[in-house]
Amino acid sequence: MRSMNRRVFVGAFAALALTVAVQAQEFKVFDHTVQVHGFASQGFAYSNNNNFLTMNTSNGSPAFTEGAVNLSTSITDKFRVAAQGYDRKIGSLDDGRPQLDYAYGDYKFAGWFGVRAGKVKTALGLYNDTQDMEFLHTWALLPQSVYPVDLRTTFIAHTGGDLYGRIPLKKAGKLNYTAYAGTRTFDPREGYYYFSLANGFNIESISGRTEGWDLKWTTPVKGLMLGSSWANLTGSRAGQWVSGPFAGAPYTIDTVPNRVWAGYGDYNRGRWEFTSEYRSTLDELAIGSPLFGTAAFMYNQSTEEWYATAAYRINPKLQVGVYHSNVHIDNPSNPLNTASNHITDEVGTARYDLNSHWEVKAEGHFMDGYGDIYSAQGFYSQWNADGLKPKTDMLVLRTSVNF
Amino acid sequence: MKHAKYFLAATAILLLGALSARAADVKVIVNPSVSVSSVSAGDLQAVFLLDSDSLGGNHVVPVLEKSGPAHEAFLKAFLGKNDAALQAFYRSLVFTGKASMPKFLASDAEVVAYVAKTKGAIGYVSSGASTEGVKTLTVK
Repeated sequence: MRSMNRRVFVGAFAALALTVAVQAQEFKVFDHTVQVHGFASQGFAYSNNNNFLTMNTSNGSPAFTEGAVNLSTSITDKFRVAAQGYDRKIGSLDDGRPQLDYAYGDYKFAGWFGVRAGKVKTALGLYNDTQDMEFLHTWALLPQSVYPVDLRTTFIAHTGGDLYGRIPLKKAGKLNYTAYAGTRTFDPREGYYYFSLANGFNIESISGRTEGWDLKWTTPVKGLMLGSSWANLTGSRAGQWVSGPFAGAPYTIDTVPNRVWAGYGDYNRGRWEFTSEYRSTLDELAIGSPLFGTAAFMYNQSTEEWYATAAYRINPKLQVGVYHSNVHIDNPSNPLNTASNHITDEVGTARYDLNSHWEVKAEGHFMDGYGDIYSAQGFYSQWNADGLKPKTDMLVLRTSVNF
Repeated sequence: MKHAKYFLAATAILLLGALSARAADVKVIVNPSVSVSSVSAGDLQAVFLLDSDSLGGNHVVPVLEKSGPAHEAFLKAFLGKNDAALQAFYRSLVFTGKASMPKFLASDAEVVAYVAKTKGAIGYVSSGASTEGVKTLTVK
């Protein structure tokens, strides 16, 4: 405890020093101005009952750290390049290993048409591309039904290309569109691998691609934006059962198909902000193994998920908010266990901005259910050896600095 | 019904008046290299929300004030965001690689000086500020 207090003090002092000291955020390279930005975030989570997101939250866990640094510059008026390195250790998620978050070239032919190529953040829903930028949001944790921390790498970016643009609609507002295609990244220190191991099979190889679109309509109603996204995601896994009655037998799992449709909205009026998002995920798997003969075993793990938030800015420094988050599993492996067919989360948050670069948050979560054992939904048997309880209450504290 | 129509008309006039009053608290300035003399509210918003980097065929680069009455009036009249929301919006673009952070300056005088010396710069100042060396745009 004494060493934890010392770590908290040192961290707070470092954060304050950083916000005061970081002024020089750009430098010149061959007459091009390169901007440098970054953030660091530290959290603490404490829960009753179940451990969440591979953290030992039932004993209080400070293993909740992430950060990033990015560089960007305009080569010409139409062409810019940008890259960001990212690192996190959230329980056993990613384990502190640095990774490339994005790196791409962006050529804007006109306001209505541009192209990005490289590793690009994926436009899906309200917050997919900024889900790991905690300081941008009111919440310490975004609704996990839609933005699961344990599946971040799988959905957050693709290596390929985007077409994008803005179409003015005169009195009807404007439309921003993105269409994309590329390959997906799967991290061996995230949810896919952990839930696989929990169920007795490893992943020796995994690959996939994604293609989709996103439309954001800034409506003529002041403060109202509506949007829709659609994505087709393929995934092919192969490995072996490592425990249980099938130990040693090989398997393959292919998504046939995995499609996500999202509808969302964001409304700002005065000091209030309201958001909501609904997703329908069609997820059919074809599981192959010599054990099943030549015909694949088909498994449906489709879900619906949604959230609704309300936030109120009390003054320029203090904002409070609540949200309800809900995921429903259409075909739970154990239909008699009602805790396995859903996870709901009722959340209350307070965010305080010490200055424009440093904020702190305190957030309470009241969760009901823990989702199905055959999918990654934050609750893993490896971190809950005594079995999962139907309800989880959790306190999350987070602070971050950005420059 | 008749009273309702008069009430709606009076409300619309009041609202329009209030909006005009806020917009009248600031004026939009550009470097003389920018050839246009007016800009639509929609195009102005697109430039400052980094959706567009051109006006009338001229490449433009926005500059903002860090705080103050002109800054608050401009955000309210043309961007529909408060300062916290605008900062979060800019950072969401910066941290996804889609844009660079615009320049923020401390006062009307600094904005005028910067716009005057920087080709393509567009900014805003208090309606009573000196605009020596820059051009004022009419917002339609």
